[in-house]
Amino acid sequence: MIQYLVSILTEGAIFGIMALGLNVIWGWSGDFDLAYYGYVALGAYMTLVLTIGQATPPAQYILGLQLPYLVALLCAVASSALMGLIVGLIALQHLRGIYFSIVTLGAVYVLYVMAGQYVPLFDGYNGLSGLFNPMGDALGLDYQSYQYFFLGFCAFIFILVFIFMAQVSGSRFGLALRSLREDERAAAAFGRDIYRLKLKAYVLGAAFGGLAGGLFAAYLSAFNPSAWSPIEAIVLYSAVLVGGRGNIKGVVLGVAVMIVLVQESTRFLPGVPGYPNIVPALREIVIGAVLVLFLRFRPRGLLPERRYIDRLPKGYVDPGVDTPPPRGFGIFERRSRPARDRDRRSPRAFPPLPAPGAAGAPVHRPPAQDRSVVSTPGQAVLVVEGLHKRFGGVAAVNGCSFRAPKGQVTGLIGPNGAGKSTAVDLISGFKLPDAGTIFFEGVAIQGLPPHRISRLGLIRTFQTPREWPGLTVLENVLLARWDPEREALWRGLIEHGRAQHFTSESELNGAREILAELGLDKLSNERAGNLSGGQKRLVEFARIRMAEPRLVILDEPMGGVNPVLGERIVAAIEGFIASGTSVIIVEHNLPFIERVAQHVIVMSQGSVIAAGPFESLRSNQSVIDAYLGEVSHE
Amino acid sequence: MHEVLLTLGFGLVTAAILSLSAVAFTLEYAVTNVANLSHGEILTIGAYAAYLVHRLTGSALLAALGAAVAGGIVALAMHTAVIDPFVRRGFGTMPTFIATLGMSFVIQNVLVIIFGAANVAYTIPQGAPHQVGPFLWTSAEEEIIISALGITAVLYVIITHTKFGKALRAVFQNRDLARVTGINARLVGAATWFLAGLVAGYAGFILAESVGTFNPYFGFSFFLITLTAAVAGGLGKPFSTMAGALIVGIVLEFAGGYISASYEIAFAFAILAAIILVRPRGLFTNARRTVFE
Repeated sequence: MIQYLVSILTEGAIFGIMALGLNVIWGWSGDFDLAYYGYVALGAYMTLVLTIGQATPPAQYILGLQLPYLVALLCAVASSALMGLIVGLIALQHLRGIYFSIVTLGAVYVLYVMAGQYVPLFDGYNGLSGLFNPMGDALGLDYQSYQYFFLGFCAFIFILVFIFMAQVSGSRFGLALRSLREDERAAAAFGRDIYRLKLKAYVLGAAFGGLAGGLFAAYLSAFNPSAWSPIEAIVLYSAVLVGGRGNIKGVVLGVAVMIVLVQESTRFLPGVPGYPNIVPALREIVIGAVLVLFLRFRPRGLLPERRYIDRLPKGYVDPGVDTPPPRGFGIFERRSRPARDRDRRSPRAFPPLPAPGAAGAPVHRPPAQDRSVVSTPGQAVLVVEGLHKRFGGVAAVNGCSFRAPKGQVTGLIGPNGAGKSTAVDLISGFKLPDAGTIFFEGVAIQGLPPHRISRLGLIRTFQTPREWPGLTVLENVLLARWDPEREALWRGLIEHGRAQHFTSESELNGAREILAELGLDKLSNERAGNLSGGQKRLVEFARIRMAEPRLVILDEPMGGVNPVLGERIVAAIEGFIASGTSVIIVEHNLPFIERVAQHVIVMSQGSVIAAGPFESLRSNQSVIDAYLGEVSHE
Repeated sequence: MHEVLLTLGFGLVTAAILSLSAVAFTLEYAVTNVANLSHGEILTIGAYAAYLVHRLTGSALLAALGAAVAGGIVALAMHTAVIDPFVRRGFGTMPTFIATLGMSFVIQNVLVIIFGAANVAYTIPQGAPHQVGPFLWTSAEEEIIISALGITAVLYVIITHTKFGKALRAVFQNRDLARVTGINARLVGAATWFLAGLVAGYAGFILAESVGTFNPYFGFSFFLITLTAAVAGGLGKPFSTMAGALIVGIVLEFAGGYISASYEIAFAFAILAAIILVRPRGLFTNARRTVFE
């Protein structure tokens, strides 16, 4: 009995490591990776071929180096990570959703067929064996005490892995990964290199798979293809899903329920005489059915991913909108950014916002020393020249050229189908232009990926708000500021507590103030996906405030917004200008444009037909024609 | 030259079976936007149904009918019990996709309990191989090719010339828009899955006939090749899927004949990965350019 318990617990620890690795890829990064069990298998195979002796005919396999177990284990982790890197490099570049899953299923089948059919690799279907009680001889353990020792060894590694995952879970790195899962476009728009981040997560997950595989090989002392049909891995997916994707405690609970309780314990049930298949088949039916039922009725699992709850510290006094916020705690300030960003590190006091209805309230100019690049009148923040983009036979953007002045609000208007949104996509890097140049503050940005453009200080919003729905409002705002230093994985491992989430106390206070100004402070711990459409719009504005770009392109900010909220948006736009952010607004609501924009660009059929102050366009015949349809002059 | 033609002849038989399986898969995808990972199990059930009917009646024709009907019922049940509730509640593509994986696992093991995991052999006579033009086919293989062509023709008429076909295409293009114009998307979905199930069940029968033996897992391994064909042609587009099946079927036969049959699945996936990476929307449409386009 005790032996049985020891073996179940050992297996539970190994599967726990496996599931935590899968959780990085599926739970956080959000990719349903069907190749995962391949990394476990590769880890097991590599551990075996590195620890057992040379192959003696008829057995055939590579290596046979008789390395010490721990060295072999490290090599196994490295080889799984390497394979994860190769698969990830190929599959993550362009593929998402089912296409990604299909390609990873392909990858694992290729590995499976190679292991089974190509005998010189891992001895085909015979598999490998001969790794008995690694480390046991050196420690002089007998069989019985070795079982306890190995359980302790696996449990120790499991606890290390769990602590590692707990650190990653609360870190900026973990938060950035989850933002990819929630909305990749928004993540790219706020400076995340989605390919590299996803690749990091994938390789990390694969490495833990290899680690679990190496332990598994020692536990089984043998490994062959019948131990790992790729579809068998489904129990691992059901464990992660049942426990709660993204929540590491949930994942461990899921392993306890699905693998220890359902899969392993029932292996020892008495079979039905004459029908040896019934018990295993029933067990697998239960696993499959649990997967379907949880997806349908409890997709977040038994222990759903936790929100980060922001509690105001004791004695925290809301500074209100009139008191300037503290300028930060000097020692927490990090000064690694380019020089011109230095004085932008701590949140700046925004001018008081006009009350709703008080349109045209005076706009406070920022103090001169606040602007790193002094703007001269007439200087352009964005210069677009000869931009072209075709979709099949349609020239969506056809020789579009314009300039947006610095420090002002530029309206980009035009009838439906004029190519405004495509132009925004081209400028922000979400689509590749066929031809043309785009200069942002004198830097050519055409053809750069979205995150590079965002990091230069040009951020765009989307027609429908793209919040990260599963993250809280506060997390949405905190994550708007891209901070490469704090988002490094190693940083997440050494920091602890709630401080992992933000760069400095002043950054957190800044985010709180921005939310208060926009009237979102009561919602800051709510998941952004639960907000109304208008509130989501405000969250986008809060994120822009936090990111402090030098140019923001707002794509139809007034779409579906009620008049009261409209006033808040007008105020927010004035706030952007006041804090040194130039604004381009794509909009159909002309009275709104007339009110906020100093400069207006009119597009029609893919090119700019007029530009100038709003009043000058009223009498412009080509603008009237574009909006009212071509008037026949015959 | 002679050997090349022989291989091509076998390749055409594979392609005929594959095209039926792939067109059924792509129809399921078209109306629900779900890549059905339990599609292979419809084929398996078709094969077992045909096996039972043939044992009872001794008629190959009734066996074929039984396979189709069983496949249709199973596909309809899948749609009603799992797919539709997921799609209707807007659960998104991924959860539904994963649910079909669970469903596939359940069905395989139910079949293990009923029929056992061992291989079952068909006893339907194949007929002696004879020369047909440049190819060497048995009469069973002739029937496979002719019936595949016939079913394709019927599907073509249904999809392009009936009101139901029009509704089907509308649901594929835009489910919500189809609904506001008065199309009952659920009904169209259910009917399409039933139709796809009929075709897939029959495909299971002819696959088992051509392979000779099968077990509860046989549909799943063939499904992996089906997936290659469907993606090669372009998911959701029935007739380019068939063209994809033709290419994949013949390529696999040559690869199996000239390299090694053991690596067939790995080879199929190598093709699949290459296609997805270069032309993710299928061989017959333009590739995407950035991950966001």
